[in-house]
Amino acid sequence: MNVTRRGFIKISGATAAGIAVSGMGFDLSPVKAHALTLKTKDAKETTTICCYCGVGCGAIVHTGKDKGRVINIEGDPDHVINRGSLCSKGSALSQLAENKNRLTEPMYRAPNSKEWKKVSWEWALAEITKRVKATREATFTLKNEKGQTVNRTTAIASVGSAALDNEECWIYQALMRSLGLVYIEHQARI
Amino acid sequence: MSKSFFIDTTVCTACRGCQVACKQWKNLPAEITKNRGTIENPADVSFNTYKVVRMREEVIDGKLRWLFFPEQCRHCIEPPCLDTAGDKSAIFKDDATGAVIYTAKTKGLNAKEIIESCPYNIPRKGKNGALAKCDMCLDRVQNGLLPACVKTCPTGAMNFGERDEMLAIANKRLGEVKKISQAARLLDADDVRVIYLVAYNPELYHKFAVASVDNLGITRQTALAKMFRPVKNIASGLV
Repeated sequence: MNVTRRGFIKISGATAAGIAVSGMGFDLSPVKAHALTLKTKDAKETTTICCYCGVGCGAIVHTGKDKGRVINIEGDPDHVINRGSLCSKGSALSQLAENKNRLTEPMYRAPNSKEWKKVSWEWALAEITKRVKATREATFTLKNEKGQTVNRTTAIASVGSAALDNEECWIYQALMRSLGLVYIEHQARI
Repeated sequence: MSKSFFIDTTVCTACRGCQVACKQWKNLPAEITKNRGTIENPADVSFNTYKVVRMREEVIDGKLRWLFFPEQCRHCIEPPCLDTAGDKSAIFKDDATGAVIYTAKTKGLNAKEIIESCPYNIPRKGKNGALAKCDMCLDRVQNGLLPACVKTCPTGAMNFGERDEMLAIANKRLGEVKKISQAARLLDADDVRVIYLVAYNPELYHKFAVASVDNLGITRQTALAKMFRPVKNIASGLV
C-alpha cells in the first residue's frame, strides 16, 4: 500500500480519535464477522430515579432520536446507590411508558358502581376540583382541642402513584400539604 | 480471548432482576403465568424467556433452605447442539467470545433433535419453527457492555468477563463457601461458559443444573445424522 506522509497522519489521527472515544467504555473498533449494533446506538441518554421503592436507584433512560420514545432503561453505573444494578421492578421501568396495556385516558367509577367508564380530562379535573373543594371547606380545622393552630383536613387522604418519581412526588406532596392534608402516602413508603 | 459467566448462587436473592432485564433488553413479550404454588415464574424457559430463576425449598441438615438458580444457556465450550445441527448458518460459535448463537435459520433444523442434544434442556421452539435461547447479549458484549442480566444484578451473583478471570473468582469464592458448606462445588466448570457455584447438591436446585449422561439425550437418530453429515461441515467445525 502506497501511503503518503499526509495520508499517514490522517490515518493515525483517526486512530487516536478512535482511542479517545473508546475510553468512554464503548469499543468502536470495527468488528469483522457478525457485527451487531446496539439498539441504544444514537439514543439520547437521560438520568432518572426509579419510582418503585424507597431505595432510590438511579437509572439511564435511552430515548430514540426518531420518535422520542423510550427504547431502553437500565441501571446507572455512576449512581451511588445502585452502581448500575436494578431489581426486577426497576428492570421493567421502560414499561411505565412503553406498554400497550397502559391507560391513556382517565377512568371513572361512580360510587357503588361496578363499572369503569372513560371520561374526558376536562370533566375529571373539574370533578376532582369540585369535590376536593367541597370536602375541604366542610371539614377544615384551624385549631385542635388544645387550641394549637393545625390548619388541616383529615377527611381527605392521598395515596400517591407508584409511577411517580422523586421530583414528581415532591410537587405532589407540596400540593397536598397546601390543601391541608395530613394523610399522604406513597408506594415507596408502603 | 473468550468470555465466561460466573454465577454465585450463594448470594442470589431471586429478585429476578436478571430475568426481567433480559426481556427488557431483547424486547421479548411477557408470558401468561398462573399460580403454581411457588413464586418461581414462568414455569420454564421458552422461545420468549431465555432466563428463569429456579426456586426450590429444601430441608438440608434439619434447616429449611431456599435454593435459587438463575438458569440460562451455558454456552458450552463444545456445544452438542452446534454439533447436532451441523449447519453453521443456523447455529454457530462466535470466535471472539465463545457465545453459541442461534439464527433464524434454525427454522430448517429438526428442533426436537437439537433440544434433546442439549445436556441442560435449554433451547425452545417458537411458533415460527425457529429455536431461541440466550445469546450472551452478543450485541452488548461486542460494544463493550456487560450482558443485561449481569449488568442489572444487585448482589453480585452474576459476573461476566474473560474466562480466566471468571475461573479465578469462581475458585476463590468456592474456597470461601466450602468453609460453610462442604458440599459446595462449581458445576461443569471445564465444559461450559456459565459457571455456577452451588452450596449444596446441585440436583436439589434443578434437574438440569449439571449435565449428566441421562440428560444428554443424544438419540439414535441424532447419532445417525451426525455420521452422515457432509464432510465439509465437520472440517469447518474443527477450525
